[in-house]
Amino acid sequence: MDKIIVLLLLTLSLTGKEISNTHEVYKKHCIPCHEHLPYSLEKIYMLYLKTFSGELTFKASLKAFLKSPMEETSVMPDEWIENFSVKEKTILTDKELDKAINSYWELYDVRNKLR
Amino acid sequence: MSVSKNKATNLLRSSEKSSLRRFLVLYFILVVMILSLLGTFYYQSKEKLMYSNQRTLLSNYAHEQIQQLRQLHQEFPANTVYPRSSEFRSAIYDIERSKIFSTLKSKNIYFNKVFYRKNGVIRFMMYLDDYYLGAKYLFIEIDEDKEWYSSVMRDIFILGTIILIVLGIFGLFFVNLFLRPMKNSIMLLDDFIKDTTHELNTPISAILANVEMMDLEVMSEKNKKKLARINIAAKTVSHLYQDLTYLTLDHNRKSKDEWIDLKKLIEDRVEYFAILAGSKKLTFELNLNYSTIFIDGIKIARVIDNLISNAIKYNKRGGKIEITLRKDYFSIKDSGIGIEAEKVNDIFERYTRFNSSEGGFGIGLNIVKSIIEEYSLKISVSSILQEGTTIRVDFLKGTVDDG
Repeated sequence: MDKIIVLLLLTLSLTGKEISNTHEVYKKHCIPCHEHLPYSLEKIYMLYLKTFSGELTFKASLKAFLKSPMEETSVMPDEWIENFSVKEKTILTDKELDKAINSYWELYDVRNKLR
Repeated sequence: MSVSKNKATNLLRSSEKSSLRRFLVLYFILVVMILSLLGTFYYQSKEKLMYSNQRTLLSNYAHEQIQQLRQLHQEFPANTVYPRSSEFRSAIYDIERSKIFSTLKSKNIYFNKVFYRKNGVIRFMMYLDDYYLGAKYLFIEIDEDKEWYSSVMRDIFILGTIILIVLGIFGLFFVNLFLRPMKNSIMLLDDFIKDTTHELNTPISAILANVEMMDLEVMSEKNKKKLARINIAAKTVSHLYQDLTYLTLDHNRKSKDEWIDLKKLIEDRVEYFAILAGSKKLTFELNLNYSTIFIDGIKIARVIDNLISNAIKYNKRGGKIEITLRKDYFSIKDSGIGIEAEKVNDIFERYTRFNSSEGGFGIGLNIVKSIIEEYSLKISVSSILQEGTTIRVDFLKGTVDDG
């Protein structure tokens, strides 16, 4: 019985650490740069959502852009590109990128907010 | 002439009435089928029109909703209230057909149909060019218009009834048009019989009177036989004359009902037909009890005469005729050729004869039937081929003397 409790607590602590790590990537690698820009991350999320609609399409398109940013594939307005140019290619690994994008999607998902 | 015409219109035989009935039933079925078909076309065209109107309405609602979604997308997340309307319900789905938000009644959604009706609701789907709130598909839903259905069904019923009545009147008109030649033929035949009847009376009366007056004592056997033949022939013609007179003249006269002694009447008529029966070597077997009936004397005589005449006419040579009279019925049985079972019901039709080998107009039993019906008596026929026919007439209670 004691063993089961120990194993359960261990699993829970690892899961908590995992969640914390997921948001950690997003917080560490996305927010610092974007918080100084005039377009909030939520505004950009809404732009992506308006362009790509579904979750899978959204995530795949964002990942593709972050790995290889180009003017042609950016959803930002022309004025934005002229003032801030296109961001640099990500330094995150695929796994880290997925974690960051998942955090981004979960954080601003309209399904959870519409009433 | 108008009397003749009125009479002719009543001359339709039951077979003609049956044909008329069949025609009308067939006509009615045909008209109802055509009207049902027209009703279906009308319903479908109205349904199409209704859908077209509803589709336009739903399309307008959809454009209205898109504007609301666009505004919400811009205001998001400051405003998170999904736009709702009292006129319709709606839902938005993303490009992966995953639900974003819905106020629809049912969760069952068809993405392959732009406009459809199911379970009392009408749905319209519109694709969004800009995916506001991530929505690729917008569904607009309203409740089906039940008023429309009852209004269309009412129209179909009222119009259908009016058309049915109008076509029914046309049908009757056409039936009369088709039957006119038939009625004219019957009227012509009746007129002919009526005219010739007048001409028969005097010569027949003269022949019969002179035959009765001839002195048989001084006559040779050979001449007696010849005279008997003349007597038979004259009585046959006289019988026919009386039938024709009854049919064309007496039929419409007022009945003079009185108590008739049937036993005496039958005996008289048997004696009258004795020479005729003798010519075929027929014998009468009379089993008569006393019975009286309250009836017109001429009419009951026509009944008995016609039944005895037929029993003689259709009997075989050397056969017999049994006449039975009881208090409430009488029957006449012959030992003749009989009638086929399927023809028994037709023998009372005018101009119908048992078989064409015998002479006559085929009006005798028709007269019997009309008298029987007039006095609500009951006539029944039983016949066995090659054995004979029995015709029985039952009297109604009240017409016979119960005392």
